[in-house]
Order: sequence, then C-alpha cells, then structure tokens
Amino acid sequence: MEQIIFWEETFFTVAFVAYTAAALAFFAHVALKKDIMGKIAVLLTSAGFLIHTTAIVLRVIESGRLPFSNQFEFATSFTWGIVLCYLVLHYAYRFTAVGAFVMPIAFLVMGYASMLPKTIKPLMPALQSNWLYLHVGTAVISYGAFAVSAGLATMYLIHLYQKKDNETKTGMLTAETCDYLSYRVIAFGYLMLTLVIITGAIWAKAAWSRYWAWDPKETWSLITWLIYSVYLHLRFHRGWTGKPAAWFAVIGFLCVIFTFVGVNTLLAGLHSYL
Amino acid sequence: MQRIVRFLTGLPLAIILLVTIAMYSIIGTVLPQGLSVEVYAERYPQFAQWILALQFDHVYTSLVFYVLLGLFVLNLVGCTLKILPAQLRRMKQDYVMTPRASSEEMFDSSLNPEMFRSSLTKLRYSIRETEDGFIASKHRIGHIGSSVTHLGIIVIIVGSIIGAIFAEEGFFNLMPGDVKSFPDYGFAIRLDDFYFGFRENGTVEQYFSEVSVLRSQQPEQTAKLWVNQPLSVDSLSFYQTSYGWASRVLITKNSGEEVMNIWLRKGESTFVQENHMTVYLYGFYPNFTITSEGEPLTMTEEMKNPHYAVILYEYGQHVGSYIVEPGQPIERGDFQITFQDSTLYTGLTYRKDFGYSFVVAGSAIMFLGLMFSFYFTPKQILMTTNSIKVMTRQNPWGLTYQIKKLVEASRIGKESN
Repeated sequence: MEQIIFWEETFFTVAFVAYTAAALAFFAHVALKKDIMGKIAVLLTSAGFLIHTTAIVLRVIESGRLPFSNQFEFATSFTWGIVLCYLVLHYAYRFTAVGAFVMPIAFLVMGYASMLPKTIKPLMPALQSNWLYLHVGTAVISYGAFAVSAGLATMYLIHLYQKKDNETKTGMLTAETCDYLSYRVIAFGYLMLTLVIITGAIWAKAAWSRYWAWDPKETWSLITWLIYSVYLHLRFHRGWTGKPAAWFAVIGFLCVIFTFVGVNTLLAGLHSYL
Repeated sequence: MQRIVRFLTGLPLAIILLVTIAMYSIIGTVLPQGLSVEVYAERYPQFAQWILALQFDHVYTSLVFYVLLGLFVLNLVGCTLKILPAQLRRMKQDYVMTPRASSEEMFDSSLNPEMFRSSLTKLRYSIRETEDGFIASKHRIGHIGSSVTHLGIIVIIVGSIIGAIFAEEGFFNLMPGDVKSFPDYGFAIRLDDFYFGFRENGTVEQYFSEVSVLRSQQPEQTAKLWVNQPLSVDSLSFYQTSYGWASRVLITKNSGEEVMNIWLRKGESTFVQENHMTVYLYGFYPNFTITSEGEPLTMTEEMKNPHYAVILYEYGQHVGSYIVEPGQPIERGDFQITFQDSTLYTGLTYRKDFGYSFVVAGSAIMFLGLMFSFYFTPKQILMTTNSIKVMTRQNPWGLTYQIKKLVEASRIGKESN
C-alpha cells in the first residue's frame, strides 16, 4: 500500500511538472510563433495527462473509490477535467495556441492541489452513495469546460488588445473562432452544470430529506448557473458576441472558482467536508 | 398596457431578474440565516436593524425573494407563450431559415454535388429538392429547445411551491423499544435497534436504524434504514439524520430511597427540588480520553472506556464538576448520583413532499430542452447551382467549419480516396 502511495505522489508531481512545462512551451509557441514549440507543448500536455490519469488510478486503487471526496481530490480531478476538455478541443480542431491560455489555469489549480493535504480518508456516511460519482464527476467536466472557455475568452480579449484578427500558421485562432468556441464550450459546461445541480438535488433528497437547502455551495452553483444563463440569453437574443461575451465568460469562471475554493474556505455549510 | 405586458414577458426583465436573483442570493450565503434577533444584534450591532428590516436574516423566504420569483415565473410563462407559436411554425418541413448577411459562401466549382448530397444524407440531413438545387435540414426539434427548457423550469418552480405549501416534515428521537405513532397515516414506527457500523480503525462507517412498521390488525414489517438509504412507508419517507447517547441517571438518598430514575442526553439537566440541586450532563464519552488542555473527549464511538462529565449546581451556584465511570456514585450531602446504562438513540426525519415528483420531472424536461437547444440545433444547408449557404442560429461558426470540410471532401477527384 505504501508503495502505491509513493507512486501516486510521484506521478502527481511528474504530471504537475509536465503541465508547468507545457504552459511555458505554449507561451513560447505563441510568443515566438514556433510550430515546434506548439508540438512540444501538446506532447507535454498529453504525456502529463496520461501520467496524471495514472496517479488518479493509483489513488482509486488505494482508496477503493473515485477521488471526489475532499478539496485535494476535487482539485486534482478538476485539473484533470480542464486538461481533458482542452485535449478534446485540441484534437478536434488542432488550435494549438488555445493551450497557452488554458494550461496556466490547469497549472494554478494543480498548484493549489499540491498544497493541500493528500491523506486518504474513508467516506463519511453522507457521501456513501453512487450519486457522489455522478454529481462530482459532472462537476469535474463542467468546471473543466468553464476553465477552457475562460481561456478562450482571454485569448479573444488579447486579440482585441493586439487588434489582430488573422489566423496565423502557428495555430492562433481568429477572434471570431475564439468567440464561437468559447460559446460552444460554455454551452457544454452549462449542460454539465445543470446535471451537477440536478444530481446534487436528487442525492440531497436521499441523504438529508430535502432536495434544496440553500446551502452556500448549492446556492453558489445556482448563482453560477444564473450568470451563465444570462450569458446564453444575451448571446442568442441580443447578439452579445465578442468583448462583452468574453468578459462574461471570465466572470462566470470566477464564480466557478469561488464556488470551488471561496465557499469552502470562507462560508460554512453542508459541503464543508470538501 | 401593451408596453407593460411586453416588458413583463420580455428578455430585458428576464435578464434583470436573473442578475437580481443571483445577487440577492449571495446575501444569504454571506449572512448567517435563521438566527435569533439577539444574535444579529450582538454580531452586527451597527447593521442588525437593517438586516432584520430587510429580512436578510431569512433571505430565501423573504418577501423580496418571493416577489422576484413570482415575477420570474410570470416572465418565463409569458415569454414562452409568446415565442412558442413561432417556434412551432418553424418546425414545419417547408420552413426555410434566412441566411445571415455574413454567411460565408462555400461553393466550389470543383464540387461534386451528388457526393456532397450523399455526405449530407449520411449525416442524417433530410433533403428537399428546390428549383435549382436542394435544402438539407436537420434537427427541427431544436426550434422548441428554449420553450421546453422554460417549461422544465416552470414545472420545477411549481413543484417547489407545492412542497413549500403542502410538504410535511418532522424530526423525532427514538430509543430502542420506543414507538412513534403517525395516527393520520394509520401506522407507527418502533425502533428495534440502532447501531454503528465500524471500520477497522474504530471510526464510524455508517449509522443503522432497524425499525418495525406497526399497523393495527396487520403483521409487523421490519426494515432497516441508514444515511442515503431512506425508508418509505406509504407517502412518508424516513431518513437517518441524527443519533446520540442517552444515559440513565439514578439519584438516591443515603437511606436508599430512590429520588429520581430518568434518562438524560448530553447537554440536558434535571432538578432535585429538595436540595435545589441541578444535575447537568455535560457529556458522555464512550471511549474516554483527556486532551493535553484537560478537555474530555471520546476517541471513537466504541463503548470501550465509558465516562460521564457531570456538573452540579445548588441554588444556581456551581458546586462541583466530575468525571465518573458508569455506576460510580457522586456524593453530595444526603444524595448519591450515579450514571449508567448508556444507550444509543436514533434521530429520524420524516418528510412527505408531492412537489418532489414535479421537481424531478421538471429537471428531466429542462435537461431535454437544453439538449435540444445546444445539440439538436436546427441546421439548414441551401445549395443552388452556384452557391452553398449554411443557416443556423446557435453555432454558425461550427456548422460552417463542418460543411467546409464536407465541401473539401466532396471535390471531384476525391471519390477514389
């Protein structure tokens, strides 16, 4: 068992190093406009993702459950979700430069995870439910998607700042592409967030008798959902694309981060074990 | 009047309400909710008056919040009724969307139209011939996505209102052998046993209540419930939500006369009139230890080394604090106080909420609506002899990207690839 813990921590650290190096390589790719740097960055990200997945699998073997039950486990899973969403986007569209705006977020969340206690504790009675996997699993994917959308929105804003609107051979996207991709990723994240809230409500009903208790965590999830609802409505019906939409995507992601970190550290509630 | 109706059912109000509800909800996460007036006065001496006047002490049941929710439902219903007829019209087969002015022309003179058409058919587009080409359409159901989503939200809110008005909820403690009767429902619940499931390291894995459902002239039904595994009896659901230890306190005189023999739980006290003595059970520790600061605590919930922390008062004055084992008497004047027979009791919550079915149904409808809106978005490709245009509202970039690739793959000479 101790050997598994050793290897899990080793793989986690190597993945963190790979993500850090990938973020730097992506920067170099965008700044120097060198294709080779982009390829290295994607390779590092993909390798880091595989190593990170191995670390998570080892933790699953150690604990006998998915790593969804405390702040460290969610942070590492969240990072995994961000990188997964980025890689799916990359292999679907081959827009390498997006990594320069997404991997720093993955680096920060992974860095946060690395500072948290990694001890494995058995699940408390309220968490012993299959709903845990559905509820937190959808949250991992949803938050990952919102992080990618925030990266794309930042990329759009930088485009605007630099007043560049041409797709270059190094995989920089046009401003319009950033805008649309950001929207599509938000739509996916929003759908997943809806599932997070629904599964959480059904689970709460089974565990605590009430499907909604205005606990700070669930209230902040609702606030995040409402903010993204505003984004989607303004986009569809008021043609809010471009700059305001990009700022909205960034604000939405700040809500996500507050729901994840702020609520746990600043506000007490039913989710305080996380 | 028309302007008012238009405003009440329009998008600007929807946006205002979504933002306001979000902002207003934040207050309830920052300010502790449902505390007594005195607590607010003590914690927020400068703002307590405002907190109470604006009902910030119960944000989610405040008048303002109800008004916001009411307006939201009104807006949602009005908006849905307004847009639904047009959406239903668009679902008809002969409906053709209008290409955007910025819609990119994708026609390529080297395109093989039959191959392009066949590729669209493979992607499940339905093809309708026109005078000089065809219209390929897909996902007409997506036109009603937003209305279905709105309907889902309305059903959820209706469910929560039903719950708020009609739901019944209560909490009760039972010691083994105790019975809780539900006369309105024609049954009673008896606790047969309550126990912990322990892990190897002594920590509690789960709390189990074994109960019997009693009905007149019917055999008893036994059942077990635990956290995350509620028990349903008729329309009531029972949830394992709490537990505790009850301890028997026996107060006797030195002569042997029994003065009191009752159960006390942690934090409870009893009063002996004769010497104005209050016996306060500060705590029960089934696996007792003492911290370096001198505080008693229990290492686990296993009954390995039980101890009681007891405080005595006479005429309201503290006269002694004691840590005693079961059966170990505390001598006080003519009286002897002993604690023993500690036993676990369960805390069960019961709830009946017809609104919950609406909430689940509404959630499913809302999710379906979002799927329609995001992943079954209506798409049309209009092809003439010298033009290809894509038409979609939600994601023109994505569809253009996809059709460009399709056009690229449908060029003459690509057949053999």
